This record gives sequence, C-alpha cells and structure tokens, in this order.
Amino acid sequence: MAEGGEPVILEDYLLAEDAPLLEEMAEEDEELDLYNEMTFGLDRDSAEEDATKTLVPPERSPELLEPEEQSRVVEGQPPTEEQGELRGEGGMEPEAEQVGSEEEEEEDEEQGVEEQEDEEEPNDLGDPAVMRAVQSKPTLESQDSAVLDSRIGSDWAEFGQEDMLAVDPAAWGSCPSTIPPHHMLEDKAILQVLERPPTATNVALDFLGSPVQRGYVGSPRHKRPDFRGMSPKSFPQHFLQQSAGYMSPGPFSPLSPNIGTPPRSLTMHFGPVSHSLDSSVFFSPSTSGQLNLSVPSHLTQLHPQHQRILTQRQQQSGTLQSVSPKKLWSPKADPCAGLMTCKEKDWVVKVEMIQLQSENLDDDYYYQTYYHRLEHKQAEEELLGGRNKQEPPKLVTPFIQKVETYNSVVRIAGSLGQVAVSTCYSPRRAIDAVHHALVEEAAGSHRLRALHRIERLFLQLLEVEEMQRKMSLATEEQEHKTQEVGRIYQALNIRACSSEEEAEDEFLQVLCVRKGKKLTARLLPHLAPEQAEKILLTITHHLPFLMKKDVPDESLPLLYSPLNEVVGRMTFSRLIEVLQEMTRTLPESAELPLTMALKNQFGISLLYSLLSRGEGLLSSETPLEPHIGDFETWTDTVFLVARELSQVPKALLVEPLFLPSNLLSLFCRYLDKQTVHHLEAKMECSPLPSEAPMPC
Amino acid sequence: MNYMPGTASLIQDIDKKHLVLLRDGRTLIGFLRSIDQFANLVLHQTVERIHVGKKYGDIPRGIFVVRGENVVLLGEIDLEKESDTLLQQVSIEEILEEQRVELQAKQESEKLKVQALKERGLVVPRADTLDEY
Repeated sequence: MAEGGEPVILEDYLLAEDAPLLEEMAEEDEELDLYNEMTFGLDRDSAEEDATKTLVPPERSPELLEPEEQSRVVEGQPPTEEQGELRGEGGMEPEAEQVGSEEEEEEDEEQGVEEQEDEEEPNDLGDPAVMRAVQSKPTLESQDSAVLDSRIGSDWAEFGQEDMLAVDPAAWGSCPSTIPPHHMLEDKAILQVLERPPTATNVALDFLGSPVQRGYVGSPRHKRPDFRGMSPKSFPQHFLQQSAGYMSPGPFSPLSPNIGTPPRSLTMHFGPVSHSLDSSVFFSPSTSGQLNLSVPSHLTQLHPQHQRILTQRQQQSGTLQSVSPKKLWSPKADPCAGLMTCKEKDWVVKVEMIQLQSENLDDDYYYQTYYHRLEHKQAEEELLGGRNKQEPPKLVTPFIQKVETYNSVVRIAGSLGQVAVSTCYSPRRAIDAVHHALVEEAAGSHRLRALHRIERLFLQLLEVEEMQRKMSLATEEQEHKTQEVGRIYQALNIRACSSEEEAEDEFLQVLCVRKGKKLTARLLPHLAPEQAEKILLTITHHLPFLMKKDVPDESLPLLYSPLNEVVGRMTFSRLIEVLQEMTRTLPESAELPLTMALKNQFGISLLYSLLSRGEGLLSSETPLEPHIGDFETWTDTVFLVARELSQVPKALLVEPLFLPSNLLSLFCRYLDKQTVHHLEAKMECSPLPSEAPMPC
Repeated sequence: MNYMPGTASLIQDIDKKHLVLLRDGRTLIGFLRSIDQFANLVLHQTVERIHVGKKYGDIPRGIFVVRGENVVLLGEIDLEKESDTLLQQVSIEEILEEQRVELQAKQESEKLKVQALKERGLVVPRADTLDEY
C-alpha cells in the first residue's frame, strides 16, 4: 500500500484500524453540511460560488500536505480528514497537523493536488486530504489538556525582532495600544501572533472571494496555530492559511468581513416548514431598498410597533452592522473576527424573534412593556401634536409560522420529575418552571400551610388576570372568569371568627403574610361587591390583630388602594356597619380599635376613607336609604373620631396614605369652630377654601 | 444597534472580549466568537482567572464552549480600562497555591463552626452538592 514515493506514510500507524471511523466521519460531515444548508439556507448570491468553490477549495485545501516537509509533528493521534472538516462541521477533532507551504496558495493547491493524487492509492480511503502522520514524542499538551502550547514562548523567540515589530499592535488581543509587542510574548494568554500581510495579494483576493464560502463557514475550527516544530519562516504563510480556515480576511484586507460587505437578501427557512415560505429577512436591505410587503397572511407577526420600527430602520439603513468598530480594537486586525457569519447571526436573531412571538403575555415582559409604552407615548403625541404618526402596521417581518404547539413539559405517570421537551426554536419552554404537583395541606405547621395556600391561590389569581387581560367580550369567558374568581374567594375561607381564634383563622393567617395581602389586594377588584365588602368587614373587624401582626412587615398599605375603591362604592348602611367595627369596645384592651388605627398608617387611612365616603354620601343628596339608627350612629362616630383625634398626642398620630379633602367639612357639620380648628392643625390638612381664618 | 429594542441579545457582543462568570464559580475571560439561542457561548483565547485576595492569576485555556445554562453573568471588558486594576497579577503556581490555602482556611473555620453548633445542639442542614440558589 505504501507505494507513494518518499513521504513516509505510516499506513499501519495511520489508519488501518481507523479507516471505518474516518469513513463515518466523512459521511457525517456530508450530513452536517446538508443540515447546515437546510438550517441556514443557501445564499442566492453565493450559490454559484458555492458550486465552484465548495468543490474546489476543500479538495485543494490550502492546508495541504507539503510533501517536502518531513518534520511535522502530530500528537500521536490519527489525523482527521482535512477536507471533510473544512466542508462540514467536523464533529471530532483530533489534532491534525497543518503544514504551511512556502509558495502561494494557488501554487500550493496545484502541488497539493499532484501530491494527493500520488498518495491516493496508498490511502485506503481514497481521500486526498488525509494527512500523513509522523510519530512524535508525547508532548505536554497531549498529557494535560489544559495546557495549550508549551512552546509558544520558545517559538516566538525564534522570530527576528523585525518580525515582531512589524506586527500591527492593534491586532493584539489585549490592551493593544499600551503593551508593546515584544512584551506581549510574556502574556501567556496571547496565543496567536498576527502577521504582516504576505507578499502575495492574490491570496487575499482568493480568500475574500466569497465571505460565505460554504467550505469554511460554520466550521468551528478554532485551531490555534500550532507552532511546534515549524520553522519561523514558514510561520507567516502558515498563519495565513490558518486564518483561511476562519473565513476572515485576516490582517491584510482592507475590508472586514461583515462590515463592508453589503448584506444580501438572505433566504432563511427552517426545516420542516415548506419552502414556500421563502421570503427575505426583514433586514434584507439594500439592494432594492424596498419593503417586502408581500407576506402571506398566515405567518405570525411581531408586535405591530416592533414591525413599524423595523420598517423604519430598514428604510434608514440597509447595512447590517454586525461589529461596531472600536477605536483601538479594529475587527479587521482580529484574525478570528467574523467566525460567526452574518448568516448565523441572522439566524440567531430570527430565533430570538420567534421566541418573542408568544401567546403568553408574561413572556418577555420588558419587551411587551417597552412597546406598550411606546405606543401610548405615540398615541399621546398624536393627540397633542396632531401629527399623524400612525402607520399602518406593516407585515414586514415574515416569520415562520409556529407549526404546532406542543407540550413543553411532559409528565409521565408515576415518574418523579418532568421531562422537558423543546425545540431549538423554542428553547424557553424547556425551562418552564411551573409547579404541577399539589402540595399536601395536612402536613406542616399553620404558617406553612398558609404559605402553600397563598401560593396556590396566587397562581389561580394570575390565571384570572390573564383571562381578564385577554379582554374577551364573550359571555362564556366572563362566566368562566367569575367562576374562577368565586373559586378563589371560597378557598380563602373567609368567615366570622372570634378574637381568640384569630391566630387560627385561615383567612387571617393569609393576611398576615405579605403575599397574602397582595393576593387579596389583587383579588378585590375582581370580586362581586358583596364579597368585597365582606372582606372589608372582616379586615376592619380584626384590624387590631392585623395591625399588630403587620409591625415587622408594614405591608398593610398594599390593601389600602383596593379597599378604598370598595369603600367608594358602599352604601351608607354598609358603611355604618364597617364603622361600627372600629368603634366597638374590645374586651382585652381599653383602647378602641379606632384609636389604635390612628396610630397606624393603614388604619388611619382606612378610617379617613370611610369618613370621607360618609361625608360624600351625605353631601351628595342622593337618597341614602338608611336603616334605623344609622344617622345617630354616624354622628356618634364622628364625635368619637373627633374626640380621639384631639386626645391622641400629635407625635403618635400617623400621617395617612391619603388625606381626603372633605374631612374638615364633615367636622364642620357637627363640631364647633374651635374644635375644627384644633383638628385641622392636628391633621395638618389644608384649610377650607372659604374665609380665612374660620372655615365654617 | 439593537434590532429588537426592549430585548437583550448577545449578537452585539460578538468578537468582543468578555468576562464570564460560571455557576461553578469560575471566571473566564475570552473573546466571544459565537452564540446561539440558548446563550451557549464559544470563547476564544480564553483565560481562566483565579482571584485570591488582591492577587489574581491567569491560566490560558484556549477555546471554551460553554453551555448557556451554566452562565451566571457575562459582561464586556473595556480594553482601555482593562489594565487599570489595583489587583496584582501573579504566576499560575502562586495563585493556585493561594487558592489552596484559602480553601483550607475556609474549610477549617467551617468545621469549627459546625462543631460549635453541634455542641449547642444545633444541626445545620447541609446543602450538599447542589447549587446554592
């Protein structure tokens, strides 16, 4: 088999046992290639180039064997198919040595071809790109995978000073401007040395020909330049060819790979979807400068605002800026820049956009909020400015229709956990952290049970609000919603309880937790008036208890706002009922709940709210339909409040969350001027707009 | 230029130097070459930086492919400001030694603490190997 001339082809060492393996790899690479094409799509522009280039370059790979070079070193592992790797993704990557040639690329290719042909026979695989291997002594690198190149320093020292200084300082990976080149050798983090441009320029051209050479694209071959055993002279060229694999123009081109290149209309389509959805991406630009309005209607859309912005942007700028040049760090000096091609970036952006299109409004909260606010602002501007900024929502972003929804989390009966199912287009769902298992309520302490209940009810509440947000006018939906709300209300288990049982009462326990208060606060707007009033009654009845429990947390004010709403809709009689709760005497304390409330922010706010409502009702002249004794109770209450207010030392009086404006007029109605004046000072409310100094 | 205002994307970060903090506590510094929708990262010229006190040491690691779920946070490194640091760079051997010493000290103090608690009848539950959320 080893019929080839001079070069020592250690067939047995090479591939005897690995032949089938390499064959598999070749097949894999082809499959990967196909997959890549299907995923990323084939550039229309580069299609022809591909035809010529994909075939040619891999076969005539620049990283070819150089028959003359004998002193190559391998890590004692079988080399890979260079060609196969270049073409495709190359799953496995045992270190293969590359050899720099000393001639220009093109010449190399031809030479390489000849050499390959010679060697084709000896090689069982018939693969011209298969490297020859030479045994070498085990290196530090092979022993310890964490060490990259133990001889970097020594190799670099071989270079003449001239070489080093010629290096473009801007090309260095770190602190380009501050560290002079020769110092950088000491920095072990710098693994690559950028070289001055080679003399041959047609190499560059060849290389730039197609930025999207399929042969090189997507190849995650971040091969560091392996300098071991290479002569310094060959280094520059080697590096050049090295970077050829990165599909970047390297140090020598005036263009950077992605910046200057006018983006082409990229065709993107995902696997299963039919090719009929073959439309341009939204930032396909430039060439026509037109908007692509012809989008099939069955495609999902982005938020209309988003689309509008995208159209605007599309009109403004056509180029796809993938890298923003920084002052010191110029991408063109970075040989590995542009590893991720435009196309790949577009693809990722596309997937991200697809993720944005979700039914669930909780996803991408910031994105949704941003656009809502933007819309409101624009709407406002329109109203104010009168400018017509409204553009018809354009369907400029053709995206793949989400074919079918799937269960992101699969529960297999009897299993301990959940199996997450996801596609690469909907990765988020894989980490759905919804708690499916129902917690046993019997176990655990009171508090633990209360906490579990709160969590469960909160989830239900969120669902209700979700329904609400959908804003469906269908009556069945409304009924469903009221049903759900009713269920939550029932689960709260609000019932009368005496003061001894306060600690045990389920609803009160819920209210002792901040989240429970939040739950109640959010639930209140959805409840029927009787239910909401019942909650208010319960809270007022147990106000001292709640206020005491709230001392560390101070979260009662959460309830103020919804309760205020409830109070604002109450009838006079109901109002009296609630007030009576506050004015009743307590068995265990000399203080009235009322008095205690004055010292608590929530309490005083609630009190004021109730009084304000009463005053509002009385002064509104609507028929009140009071029960017998209501008015007396009312006046008694007002007097009581006034008395307590005047007696409570100012230091203990807490400022309310909101001070209703009609309180003074209320007091005026029943009390003498002096007292009112006194109270006014105490409450620190602004005097009535009537004659100064006496308001009444 | 953000294509999707209101969202965050790593696309703009490509080819820039980044500092990545992993869930296991490692700090990696490297050039972000490629990403995907899971925020898996490809880091180039990566260096693992170990910090102990005011000293740090860099271990060159080459190319990293990091699974997105293991990333705690990452941020771009300003190349101009990178050298303005009060920290002192030391050799790899030294920093590893310092790290070992620090770890040992921590283990010892932990042991003493557990012992003290045990004497007082308190048992601290151990969150063994799981992540500390």
